[in-house]
Amino acid sequence: MDIITLAEVAGNISLIGYGIAALGPGLGIGIVVGKALESTARQPEVAGRLQTLMLIGAAMIELLGLLGFVAFMLAM
Amino acid sequence: MGSVSDAMLLAAESGPHLPSVSDFLPPEILFEGTPFAINRIILVRLVATVIMLTVLIITARRAKVIPGRWQAAVEWLLDYIRDNIIYQVMGPIRGRRYVPMITTIFMTVFIFNLCGIIPGMNIAATASVVMPLAFALWVFVQYWRAGIKEHGLGGFLKEELLPAGVPWPIYIILTPVQLLELVLIRPISLTVRLFANMVAGHLLVATCYAFTQFYLIESAGAAVKVGGALWLCGGLVFTCFEMFVAALQAYVFAILATVYINQSYPEAE
Amino acid sequence: MPLAEEEVSGIALFIPEIYDIVWSLVVLIVIAVAFYVVIMPKFQAVFDERAARIEGGIAKAEQAQREAEDTKRKYEEQLSQARVEASKIRDDARSEASHIIADARSRAESEAEQITANAQRAIESQQQQAMVSLKGEIGTLATALAGKILGAKLQDNATQSAMIDQMIADLDDDKQ
Repeated sequence: MDIITLAEVAGNISLIGYGIAALGPGLGIGIVVGKALESTARQPEVAGRLQTLMLIGAAMIELLGLLGFVAFMLAM
Repeated sequence: MGSVSDAMLLAAESGPHLPSVSDFLPPEILFEGTPFAINRIILVRLVATVIMLTVLIITARRAKVIPGRWQAAVEWLLDYIRDNIIYQVMGPIRGRRYVPMITTIFMTVFIFNLCGIIPGMNIAATASVVMPLAFALWVFVQYWRAGIKEHGLGGFLKEELLPAGVPWPIYIILTPVQLLELVLIRPISLTVRLFANMVAGHLLVATCYAFTQFYLIESAGAAVKVGGALWLCGGLVFTCFEMFVAALQAYVFAILATVYINQSYPEAE
Repeated sequence: MPLAEEEVSGIALFIPEIYDIVWSLVVLIVIAVAFYVVIMPKFQAVFDERAARIEGGIAKAEQAQREAEDTKRKYEEQLSQARVEASKIRDDARSEASHIIADARSRAESEAEQITANAQRAIESQQQQAMVSLKGEIGTLATALAGKILGAKLQDNATQSAMIDQMIADLDDDKQ
């Protein structure tokens, strides 16, 4: 590394790709959890069932983020 | 300022020992070259298996009607798996015969995941692609078997690929997607979710501790040490987070397995 | 910064090794067998036994409660019986007491009457006696007095007795 170089962009373009890939699932999980909270506030008696369904949905969405991570790993 | 740039220089020269993909492809250490070769992950897996089974079998042997503290904790976990995962999704009548299977999957995944943060093991036993795949294939076999038993092979395929109440042009898109989902996406998603979580968790925690080691111990200078301390805090936080993820992934794996098997059964309860 | 000493492609992560497959299956089968054969049946048996115990305990408690209720009812019956008996005894005693009192009173009254009557009779007889003796004595006394007063005037008996009778009649009149 040259001492005069103040900033250097190092790393892999796949990192940026993973960052973008994390965006969508982030929004998705936010919506899922928010809606689950809303529903729980509206009908607290089905909170347990709602939580289960929320986690199933969140797991599905999480997979998309993880696919981004896998693609990032594959590209390394 | 000078010490910081010195440290930067040091970092540029040697650099922290960062974790990488090769952590998950450790060299074979026993029986090299044979089908029974053992590497670090497999060793962790075997040790975890022995410990888990020993503890659970001793607990089961000593199980009394009036439970002690430890037995009550184990029973609480088993009760939770049965009531909150299986019975809540399937109902008690249908779910009864899947209780041992889901319990096995939950407990094994949970303990194997926890190995990732147990000092001395430091890598999850599920952090090689075959272990999650084995669980996923077990689930795969079970939901196909349940479907074929309930509807027959043709009936099951018709139920899943050509669902009733859909206008026929939709089938052109729906049927291939459904087939893909049934044959590939379900097992692969289970596998990838667990595996990628474990890999990511390990990378995260190991990166934190690698920087802690590098900045706090190997580098000099007060400002750098403060940075190292921050990395240490991050490492502790992510260790706790990994504990949570270990339990959450076991829960998600178990509940998705239950949901997949339940979908093979006819809708009407 | 160097990522790793030896560059490994990430794709290698997803290509299973044969020994990995072998050990995964071995571990999975061992764990599954242990769960299916040893752990789950044992815990299930403990759960069932506990449920049976609890149900048995509930049944036993119900029986005990029923018995207690029986005993209570019996005891209450006995108590009310005893209460009735006691009140009967009390009534009896009261009536007997009033009987005894009335008896005693009547006896005392009759006795008192008798005593009164006796006393009356005794008084009357004594009065009679006194009267008789008084009559005699007054007679002689009067005779003696009159004899002394009259002396010579009254020598014959006829005049004497007529005068005495006259005097007695006067006395009777006075007395009345």
